[in-house]
Formats: sequence, C-alpha cells, structure tokens
Amino acid sequence: MNPTQIAKIARREYLARVRNRAFITMTVLVPVFLGLYFFTVPFLARSGTRPLRLAVIDAGTGLGRPLADRLRAIERPPITVTEVVTVSATDTAARERFGAAVRARTLDGYVFAEPKPSSSGEGSPSPAARYVAREAGNPTLMRDLQLAVRAAALEGLLDGTGVDVDAVRKTQQLTLDSVTLSDRGERAGGFITAFLSTLILGMLLYLAVLINGQGMATAIVEEKSSRLIEVILGAVTATEFMAGKILGVLGSGLTQLAIWIAVSLIPLLQASSFALPGPAPGVDLSAVLSARLLFYFAVFFLLGYLLYSVLFAIVAVTCTSTEELGQSMMAAVLPMVVALMAAMNVIGNPGTTATRVLSLIPFFSPLVMLARINVLMPPLWEVWLSVAILIASSAAAGWIAAKIFRYALLMTGKRPTLPDLMRVVRAG
Amino acid sequence: MASTPALVCRQLVKEFEGTRAVDGLDLTVPSGTIFGLLGPNGSGKTTTIRTSLGIYKPDGGSVEILASRDPLAVRHRTGYLPEERGLYAKMKVREQLAFLASIRGLGLAESDRRAGAWLDRVGLAARAQSLTRELSKGMQQKVQFAAAVIHDPELVVLDEPFSGLDPVNSRLLKELILEQRARGSTVILSTHRMEEVESLCEFICLLDHGRPVLNGRMKDIKAAYGRNTIAVEYAGAAGRLEGIAGVQACDDSGRHARLRLEAGADAQRVMRAIFGRVEVDSVRLDEPHIEDIYLEKVGAPRIHTTPAAQETGA
Repeated sequence: MNPTQIAKIARREYLARVRNRAFITMTVLVPVFLGLYFFTVPFLARSGTRPLRLAVIDAGTGLGRPLADRLRAIERPPITVTEVVTVSATDTAARERFGAAVRARTLDGYVFAEPKPSSSGEGSPSPAARYVAREAGNPTLMRDLQLAVRAAALEGLLDGTGVDVDAVRKTQQLTLDSVTLSDRGERAGGFITAFLSTLILGMLLYLAVLINGQGMATAIVEEKSSRLIEVILGAVTATEFMAGKILGVLGSGLTQLAIWIAVSLIPLLQASSFALPGPAPGVDLSAVLSARLLFYFAVFFLLGYLLYSVLFAIVAVTCTSTEELGQSMMAAVLPMVVALMAAMNVIGNPGTTATRVLSLIPFFSPLVMLARINVLMPPLWEVWLSVAILIASSAAAGWIAAKIFRYALLMTGKRPTLPDLMRVVRAG
Repeated sequence: MASTPALVCRQLVKEFEGTRAVDGLDLTVPSGTIFGLLGPNGSGKTTTIRTSLGIYKPDGGSVEILASRDPLAVRHRTGYLPEERGLYAKMKVREQLAFLASIRGLGLAESDRRAGAWLDRVGLAARAQSLTRELSKGMQQKVQFAAAVIHDPELVVLDEPFSGLDPVNSRLLKELILEQRARGSTVILSTHRMEEVESLCEFICLLDHGRPVLNGRMKDIKAAYGRNTIAVEYAGAAGRLEGIAGVQACDDSGRHARLRLEAGADAQRVMRAIFGRVEVDSVRLDEPHIEDIYLEKVGAPRIHTTPAAQETGA
C-alpha cells in the first residue's frame, strides 16, 4: 500500500463529502434542532400564560369551595373561578350549561367533582374529579389541577380535626429530585437527563454515519457504474482505493463531529454568563455534556463510525446501481436502529446481563456502551474491552473489505452473491 | 530504435469462470510506435489491456510493461483511456482532471497547473469550473483523453478513443495521438475504426478468441498479401460486379467496390471484365486495406445472415 495514493483518494473523498449539500445542511440543522429542542420544549411544556376561566361543579362531595380556593392559588396560568355550583348527583343541567359555555368559548373549562363508591362497595365513597375543557392535554396544567383537587379533598377530610392544614399543604408540594450517585460523586439529573443525552448522542452518531456513509456508498457505486473505477484502478490498487475512501469519510465525520461539539459548547458557556431560560424540567445541560461523557462519546463515535463506514463500503462495492444500493443500505442501517433502541432501553435497566452482552458486540456496542456510561459507569475493564473488540472488528472488517473490493470493483453486470463473497474472503 | 519493447506479453492467459478470454497470447509492442490492437467484440482486447495494466491478475503467462514485471510499479508512467468511460458527474472539470493527474503521481499543484493547460489544449478552458455532468459527451471524452496523457506517460493505452466523436474532434484527437508519439511515447490503440488504424498504426495485432491471428508490422502484413485487390469507382447499379471469374470476394457498396483476386488470377482480365459491366470512373490495382484483411481473417466464417437478419442489422 502506498500512503501517498491513499491520501489522494482520501482527499478527494473528504472534499466530496464536506462539500455535499446534505452534509452542509445536516451539519447546520442538527445543532439548530437540538437547540430548538432544548430551549423551546420547556416553553411548550409549560402551561400558557393566558388566564383560564374555570367553573366548578360539586355534585355532593363538599369540595366546591376549597377546590375553588386551590384553583385560584395556581400561579401559572392565573385562574379565575367564574362560578361554583352545588348540584345533586343526578342533575346534569349545570354540566350542560357549562359545556355549552366551553363550546361557545365564554368559559375555558370546568371541574366536576362527584362521589365515587369505593370499589368494594363498603365504606364511605371517595371523591372523584374530572376536568372538562377545550384543551385538556397540557401535562403541566393537569398536574397542577390534580394537586389542587387532592389538596382540596385533604383539607375537607382534615377540617375540624385540629390538624395544621398549612403544614399538610406544604407536604403536598414535596417533589422528588433525582441524583445519580457514582464513584465520582453526585450528579443532578437522572432518568430524564440520561434519556435525553443518550438519545441525542445516539442520534448524532446515527446521523453522521448515515450522511457520510451514504455519500461514500453512493460515490463508490457511481465510480463502479460509470466505469471511472477502471481509470482509478490503473493508478491505485483496490486496497489503496478502499483505504482512501474510508479515511476520507472518517475525516468528514470527524469534521462534522467537531462542528457539532463546538456548537453545543456555545450554549453551555452562554448558560453560565447569561440567564438563559432553563431547559426542560430535570435537565441540567452541564450534566448532559460532562467532560467524561464527551470523551467516551468521541471514542465510541470514532470507532462506531469507522466500523459502520467499512460496512457501508462493503455494501456499496457489491452493488451495481444506486437502486440496488438503496435497498441494501436498509440492511446496513438496521443494526444501528436496533442499537439505538437497545441503548434507550439501557437507561431503565443499566446493569442487566443482556445490556452487558450487547455493549460488547461490535455493531451495537458504540451506542449501548455509551448509554451505560451515561447512566451508570460500568467497570472500566468492560469499557476498554468493548473498545478493544471494536478496534479488532474494524480491522477485521477492513481486511474483509479489501478482499471484496479487489473482487467486486470491476463487476458490473451481475451482483456477487453472499456465497461468492464468502468464497472470495476465504480464498484471499 | 532497438530499445526495450513497451509491452511484452508471453503466453498470457486470463480466464473468467472457465472461459478463456485471453488464451496464450504472445504480444510485443515496440517502443515509440502506435500499435493497433484489433479484433471483433469479445475477442479479448479489453481483457488483454486490463491484464497488461495490472487491473486483472493473469492466470498464466507473464506481462512485462515498460521493462517491469509489476504493472503497478510503473503506473505513474502509463496512461489509460478505458472503453467504457465515466467521470465524477458532480465534480468540477478542472478539479477532476487534476485529481486524475494526481493519482498518476503528480503533485497537487502540478496536477492543477497541467489540468488548466490541458483544458486549454482541448478547447475547454471556459468550462473549467463547470460541473462535469454539464458537459456534452464529446467534451467529457476530451477530458478523459486528457486524463490519460496528462502525466506524460511513456505508454498510453486508448480503448476506442474515437467512438462518439464528431469529425472535428476526431481530427483533434488524431493530432493529439500523433503528438504523443512525437513525444517518444508508445500508443496502444484498440479500435474498430479501420480508417484510423490505416492512417495511424505502424504495428497491429488482430485478436480472435483470445489469440492473435495476425501480428506484426502493418507494411509487412500488407506486403504478404501483395497487390491483390482491385479498387473500382463506378456509376451504375450495385451488384453488377458479382461473379467475375478470378475474383475471390467482392465488397461492393454501390459507388465503390473492392474485388479481391484469387491467387494467380490475371488482374488485367478482371479489369477488362469490370469495364464491360459498369461505367468506370477509376480502377486501380491496390494493396488490401486492413479492413479487407480483417474481414478475411475473422469476418468470413462468421457471416451467417438471412435476409431478415440483414434488414434488422441495417
């Protein structure tokens, strides 16, 4: 192998990749979308600031007044209770009237509280409540309404018992913060942080492989089908050609990664100097992008990217047209989709045997091991064993690819079958 | 010039799944000449070329190219225009040419400089920054030819370089080929265009079924046939020159006809017979054209036409 020749092939491939429109678009769009996600989702999740006009119907629970008070105490959005009516359980007139008002938009919604018999049929019935509104999907508002209903019910129970209602009310506002404890100390966040950061890092690897690998694969098929390959093979060997392709696409992937990391650091730095609106509840950006995670991300990104690039190159060289390539690429992308799903599953169950096994298998390990590192740092030997296996399998894949390249580059009419390829690899 | 031959194939064999594409070929291409590699489709020309250039590994025999047993060791001194041609569709013309020059061993700056000079030379300077796919087929072909010779190779292999070119560009290409030889380079020309072979090649090798059926200096080959052909230009309907005694074969295209004489036939008698049949503009005793020899060597036994086949063939 002649390094100069490899460098020339790699240079062309690199330039072709980074000048590609898809590359430029995605390199810009991915951080933009991630930014949008981080900084707009919290706003979307928060209830609007538009004041709500609500009515309360109490069908014999006694919750009417206290519930109205609790509702008025909600700060965001400010709630006006327009009317509190007490009716009998069978009276539907008030519900119909409020329903009509909601439809006519003179009312935003109403809360209907009724006694519900206990499921065993014994004991006193417990209150049940229902929120009826035009827009009833907002989870934050629902949580606040639910808290209000519970507080009102509790106050009703405690009324006259001499218990300090205010103290009880405070216990109702208790929240549970999650903190991840590892050998290196505590880290705020937890499930949501791990979920989001794993998803994002996984998607970055997935997108980078897809954009660059697809570009390279298309180029190889173009070189094959246009017969340009014949000119190239007069000047470079099949192995040099393959090595150049992989190196070129590796370069473009690293360029993309560097841009993404640099861009993602900007909001981090800004977050400390400017008071940016806080990201999604429970997400701490600095926890998402800890230095350790970034380091392992770079390692597994590089190796995973390399392995998938070789896989894409092998798939491409066995195709004779872009149509064939389109179909075959699905097969090549599939392990990555599985790996991404497995990685998301790891977050809930980081220590299972299945997870530990998956995090050592080459095509899955980049994403699965990364998810494990993110959630619960595995023993170092497992991490580095995974890295070693990845390196070894990339080398093996490269060796196989070189043989297949020598065999398949000049094939045009017919597509080599799997047995053909296995014979070629065995024969050398 | 008694220098080392540019290419020597000895008992060269290349097989594909049991079929011998090249079957024990012996071939010597003298240095500094234009060498015609001829033969019908599927006769093994392209395989011979690819094996000689190291794109295929031979299954038997040996190749010695520019005095080296390893074609890849001399790859910076050879140039190749394959028959089936392609370029990167989305690459700019000059960049592409520079890339193809660079993999032939030129530095990046030198590659770019020469790419510019060659685009100028083939009249495409204005299109240097165009995407290759925006060029016409003929323009792309000129770029490809430039790519084959841009690094001043000592041996250039051109597989069907004229296909698809208009007369103006054909003439330009011919000039460029002659320029290569004038530079001292050896040119191997594989083509079906017999008029180009006639005017350019000093040596030829005619392949059939992977074996040479003719091999040597064109002048000598023609001389061996002697002046055994009568060329006629005439007015009158075609077909009236058939069946003259002493004529082995008659290739009559209407206004021109070439009649090959049987061995020992009396040329004067045949000519008188011609005068008796058609209104003659000119008639002369001629050497065989390379096309005549080609057809005799590989064409004749294969002709098996029915009237229907002739119609569809036309």
